[in-house]
Amino acid sequence: MRRVLLLIAAAACGGEHPAPAPIKFLHTFGPEETELFNATMTERGIAVEAKLAPFARGQQVIGEILRAGTSCPDLIRIDATWLPGLVAHDLLLPVPPELQHEDWLPEVEARMGVPQTIDGLIELRDEAAPAPRSSSIADLVAAARATAHAERPHPLGLRADGYWFVPWLRDAGSDIDLDHIGNAGAVEGLAQFAALFGDVAPPPPPAGSEAPEELRRWLQHDTAYWVTGPWQVGALRERERLQITALAGAPRGGQMLVVPKCAKDPAAGWRLAGELTSVPVATKFAEAFATVPTRASALAAAPPLVQAEYQALRGAQPLARSPVTPLLFDDLNPAIAAVIAHDATPQEAIDGVRRGWERLARREPR
Amino acid sequence: MKGSLRWRVLLVMALAALLPTLVVGVLAILRARHDVEDEVQRGALAHIRALGAALDGTLQDARRTVELASSQWADAPGDARATQLLMARLRRDVPIVQSLSILDPDGKSLYGDPVPAGVDIGSHSFGGYIGDAVFVDGRPTVHLVVQARGRTGELMGVFVASLDLGFVHDVIAAARLGPGARVLVIDGRGELVATSEPTATPTSAIKGNPVVDRALASSVEGTLSAGGWVSAYRNLSSYQSLRGVRWAIIHQQPEAQAYALARRTTRDTILIGGIALALALGLGAFFATRLTRPLADLARRADAIAAGHATEGPAIEGPGEIGVLARQVDDMAKRIAERAELAAALARGDRLASVGVMSAQVAHEINNPLTTVLGYAKLLLEDKPEGHPDRSALELIAEEAERMKKIIGGLLEYARAPRPSEPATQVATGAVTSGSSEPSAVVKHVAALVAPQLRKAKAQLVTAVEPQQPLSIEAHALQQVLVNLVQNAAQAGATTITIGSRPGPGGIATVLTVADDGPGIPAADRSRVFDPFFTTKAPGTGTGLGLAVCKHLVATAGGTIEVGDRADGHGAEFRVTIPVA
Repeated sequence: MRRVLLLIAAAACGGEHPAPAPIKFLHTFGPEETELFNATMTERGIAVEAKLAPFARGQQVIGEILRAGTSCPDLIRIDATWLPGLVAHDLLLPVPPELQHEDWLPEVEARMGVPQTIDGLIELRDEAAPAPRSSSIADLVAAARATAHAERPHPLGLRADGYWFVPWLRDAGSDIDLDHIGNAGAVEGLAQFAALFGDVAPPPPPAGSEAPEELRRWLQHDTAYWVTGPWQVGALRERERLQITALAGAPRGGQMLVVPKCAKDPAAGWRLAGELTSVPVATKFAEAFATVPTRASALAAAPPLVQAEYQALRGAQPLARSPVTPLLFDDLNPAIAAVIAHDATPQEAIDGVRRGWERLARREPR
Repeated sequence: MKGSLRWRVLLVMALAALLPTLVVGVLAILRARHDVEDEVQRGALAHIRALGAALDGTLQDARRTVELASSQWADAPGDARATQLLMARLRRDVPIVQSLSILDPDGKSLYGDPVPAGVDIGSHSFGGYIGDAVFVDGRPTVHLVVQARGRTGELMGVFVASLDLGFVHDVIAAARLGPGARVLVIDGRGELVATSEPTATPTSAIKGNPVVDRALASSVEGTLSAGGWVSAYRNLSSYQSLRGVRWAIIHQQPEAQAYALARRTTRDTILIGGIALALALGLGAFFATRLTRPLADLARRADAIAAGHATEGPAIEGPGEIGVLARQVDDMAKRIAERAELAAALARGDRLASVGVMSAQVAHEINNPLTTVLGYAKLLLEDKPEGHPDRSALELIAEEAERMKKIIGGLLEYARAPRPSEPATQVATGAVTSGSSEPSAVVKHVAALVAPQLRKAKAQLVTAVEPQQPLSIEAHALQQVLVNLVQNAAQAGATTITIGSRPGPGGIATVLTVADDGPGIPAADRSRVFDPFFTTKAPGTGTGLGLAVCKHLVATAGGTIEVGDRADGHGAEFRVTIPVA
C-alpha cells in the first residue's frame, strides 16, 4: 500500500516537470523520407522540432541560418559535399569521441559529422534484359549498345548532369577540380559523354522531370543499364530483377549529420544523430528507401539489395573535399547541356567551366 | 401495476424501441461527425491546394519569364540599349516585379536597381532560387535570383528580381472561406507572408501555433485538430516553381464553426430520435393496453369460472392467438357448465333410480297380496247376485285393486328399463336394448295395436313412414315408445295423430315424429313431462311414468326425445331421434 501511494505521488509530482525541450533538427529529407522520419520519432518517443531545408537550397539556407546564429538547430542533415564548406567557415562542432568510435564502415569518417548514409553512382542492370556486367565505361557503353534493338533504342539510363559526367571525366583522365578541368581529357570526356544522348542513351527530358522519366523508362524495360544511385533504387517497388554492380570511376558521397556551434543543445543533437544511425532506425530507412547505412552493424541488418549497393559503392571515389566542390556543378551542368544541345563544342563548354571555377576559386576558400 | 402483464409488455416494447433507436442514433451521429470531419478536412486541403497552385503558377510564370530574359541577355551582355529594352519588357510582362537588377558574375551591379541587402547571388542553389520572404516597406517580398548563362553554359551575369507578394494576399482574400476560417501563408522561418484576415495578423500571433511547426516539419500535407482549431496545411516545396521555397499554406477554422453541420446533425438526430422514441412508447402503451385487455378479460372470466359462474359475461374478443384462447376458454366454460348440469342431472337420476328400485321392491311386495285381494274380490262378486247390497262395495274394491295393479305394473316397467348412464349389456332389469328395428314395420304394428283404443276415442292415426334402414333400437322398445305417445295424444283429446319420419342430422339417425292436433303441451311443462310421476292428467287417470319410460328407452338406444309444438302451431309434436343401425 505504501509503495502504491509512493508511486501515485511520484506520478503526480512527475506531471509538474516540464516536458523536455524538443531537439531542433534541420534536414534535407525528401517527402517520403520526411514522413518516415516524423513517424519514427513519434514511434520512438523522441521530441523533435524538425524543419525542412529543401535540398536545392539546403546549402544556402543552412549557411544563412548558421551565420545568423538565431533559430540555430541542434542537428543538421547535409550532403557530404557541403561539409568542407561548413568546416572551412568554422561553423561545426567535432563529433564527440564516444560517437567517433562507433562501428563506422571504413568508407566513412565521423570527425566533423556523423555519416548517415553512403550514396553515389552505381550500375543497375535489368536481369530480364539480359545485360552482362561491365568493368569499365567503355564496356558499359558497349554492353548497353549490344542490348539495343528496335523496341529499345536507348538502353542506357543516363542523366545529363555533372554528377553523372564524373565517371566519363575520370575515365578520360580528368576530374572535378580546377587542377584537372583544363586538360584535354576533360574535353574528350565531355565529348564522349554528350555523344551518348540520343545515341545509346535517351535525349534529356525537360529539366525537373529527369527522375520520374528515368523511373518510367526502367519500369517499361526501355533501360537495360541504368546509371543511378540508391535514392532511385528506393523508389522501385519491384526490386527482384535488379542486378547491382560497381560503376567504374563512379563518385561516392553520402549524407551527414552535423551539430553547429550555435546549437543550443549540442548533446541533444548528437543523441539524435546516434539515434538516426542506430541499427533499428537505419534498418527502417534501408528497407523503405534502400539507403545504405554507415555502421557495420546496421549494414549487416540491412536487406541484401542494400548490401549489394554498399559493395558496388566500395570502389567508388569521393569527390574532392573542397568547399567549392558542390559549387562546381553550377557551371558544369549548363555546359554539359549546351554540348548535348549542340549549342557549344566540348572545348567551348570546358573553357567556360574552367573560367567559372577560377572565379569561384578566387571567391571561395579551397 | 409493475408486476402486471401490461406493464411488462410496455417494458418490452419500450426496450424494443429504445435499443434500436439508441444504437441507430449513436451510429448515425458518429457517422455524420466522421463524414463531416472528413469533408471539412478534405475541403480545407482542396482549398489550400488550389491556393498553392495559384501561387505556384504566378511565381512559375515570373521565374520562366526572367529565365528566358536572362538567356536572351546572356547572348549579348554588353548591349546596354537592348538590356534596357529587355528590362522594360520584363517589368511590363511580370507586373509583380518590384525591382530588377543585373549583376556581373562577381556580383557587381551592371544594370537596373540597386541589389537589396542580404541577397545571396552566389551559387549554392543549382543556378537560381526563390528566397524566403522579406518585408519591404511592410509589404511581403521575395527575391528571385536567376543565373544568366550564355550559349556555352558559361555564367554571364545574375538577374535579381524582387517580387511583390501582395498578390498572395489578394488571392487568399478573394477566396471564399467558411465561417471563421482563415488562411495563412508562412515561410520557412515561420514568418507570416500573407493572411486572409482583413487586419494583419502579427507574426508573433502564430508563433507557437502547433500547426505551423507541423507544416514546416512536413514535406507534404496533412490536418491537425488542436487548440480549438481544425487546421489543414501543405508544404509548398513540392510545387514545381516553388522548389526550394520553404513555405507552407495553412487553413484554419474554429472547430465550433467547422463542425457546425455535425453539431446540427447531432441535434437533429437526437430530436428526431426522441420524437420517434416518444411515438414508439405512446404507440407501445396503446398496443400494450389493447393486447392485454382480452387477457385481463380472460383472467376475470377464469375467476368467474372458479367461482362457479362459468357462463356469465359476454364472449371475449381478441386478435390472433388471444382470440383463439378466448374462444377456447368460452368453450371450456360452456363444457364446465354442461358438465355441472350433467352432474346435477346424474345426481337427480341416481336419486330417482333409488326411488325406482325401492318402488319396484315395494310394488313387487305389494303386487302379490294385491292379486290376492283382487282375486277374492272377484270371487266374492261372482257369489253375489245383481242387486246384492255388498256388490257395489266389492266392485269398488276390485276397481281400486285393478288401478293399483296398473300403477304397480308401471312402476315395475320403469324399474325394468335400464338407466341412460348404464351400458346396454348391463341393464339390471334384463331389458335387452341391443338389436335393431325397421321403423315402418314397427309403426304398422303399432297402428294395429292402438286401433281399438283410437276408435273408442274417435281419433284416427295417420302413418307416413316409408320402409328404410333399421334403427339401433329393439322393435318392442320402439313399439312401446310409439304406443305410449299415440295413447297420450288420444287421451289428450286429439282427433288426428300422425306418425312420420325424416332423416336425422348427418344422415346417421332418423327422426320419428308423433304429432297431434290436441291442445298441445304448455311451454312451462315441457321440461318436466319426461320426469317420472309428472302428469297433467286428472288424478287417478295416469301414473306419470309413461313418458319417463319412453325417455329411458330412447336414451338407452343412444337417441333423444323432445317435445314441441307441431309445425302449424296446433297441437304437440314429439320428435324421437334414433341412430341408424
